[in-house]
Amino acid sequence: MKLFAWLIAAALILGVATPALVHAQPVPTAERPPGQGQGGDAPHAIVSKTHPHDDIVESRGKGMALLFWIFAAAAITGALFVVTRRNLIAAVMGMVGSFIAIAAVYMMLYAQFLAVIQMLVYAGAIMVLFVFVIMILNRPEDEPVAPTGRIGTAIGGLAILYMVGRLAMILVHVTLPNKAIALASPAPIMLPGWGSAGPEAVGWGTVKAVGADLFGPGLFPFEAISILLLVAVVGAIAIARPLHPDDGTDADPGTHP
Amino acid sequence: MNDLLFDVGYGHFLALAAVLFLIGVAGVLVRRNALIILMSVELMLNAANMTLLTFSRMWGDESALSAHTFALIVIGVAAAEACVGLAIVVAVFRGRRNVDVDKLTTLRH
Repeated sequence: MKLFAWLIAAALILGVATPALVHAQPVPTAERPPGQGQGGDAPHAIVSKTHPHDDIVESRGKGMALLFWIFAAAAITGALFVVTRRNLIAAVMGMVGSFIAIAAVYMMLYAQFLAVIQMLVYAGAIMVLFVFVIMILNRPEDEPVAPTGRIGTAIGGLAILYMVGRLAMILVHVTLPNKAIALASPAPIMLPGWGSAGPEAVGWGTVKAVGADLFGPGLFPFEAISILLLVAVVGAIAIARPLHPDDGTDADPGTHP
Repeated sequence: MNDLLFDVGYGHFLALAAVLFLIGVAGVLVRRNALIILMSVELMLNAANMTLLTFSRMWGDESALSAHTFALIVIGVAAAEACVGLAIVVAVFRGRRNVDVDKLTTLRH
């Protein structure tokens, strides 16, 4: 737990310190492919003209690599906390750290909107829900892992080793088709203007760009998800309600442990 | 080795997502507490989302933003799943006073 807190503290300090590192890393403009998106540097020029406070930081270079390793370590450590801790609150705290680190990784993938949603929905709402349920249950675990015996452990270990080995073999042999295009920052996209405004260039992955896609081609799934959430809320209330409303307070296990 | 350390590309993001997914799978398979199993499922959904966003950035054009919409919808489904799953956990705990999935054998014939 202490190690994890130190990791998060180090990530925060480096997160404040890295803009300097990232800016110190000059972006070689010659590497940028000429035919990418709407063409090279032109969209960047448009963006900085229309939004003078838009600071485009490319997620590449040594500073970005440092941040990636820090946040990857935080995410994996948090995930391991979830799987290994016997104390449920410690598991949830590891999960929150993991989600925050995953949000940072989303930011490196230029998914600004999704990163914010990850923080709000996962690290905020869902984890609070988990903490509430843990407070209701309020029961420490006696034996977190099922005893399977020596043969079961051997088979499980072999299976995990095989899975990790296959995965490593696949990922080692991944080659990018065109590294220069693949590693360049995505070009801003053009949105048709509304009303009298003309077409507008917005950053890729920002709220505006994702919203234009969400309320355009993705409108039906968006509406469907609202109905799904409504059904889930009604179903959760129907399931979690005490069966006999008269002795509802007596049946509450939290008050009489 | 230097390339692997300093030249972070898509393989790194995919590998991170794969590792997170594997940890989630291990959590679902190994742990017996229903809450931990739900959290591991959330972890696996997050790993899948990270893969989606990595491939989306790999294409990097306007149509690739549909992956962001899809990831948003996956987050919504995960929220609904956590909601119903936790309600089931609470309901099971009401009746049986534990949430150990190895002891929930009522449906076994």
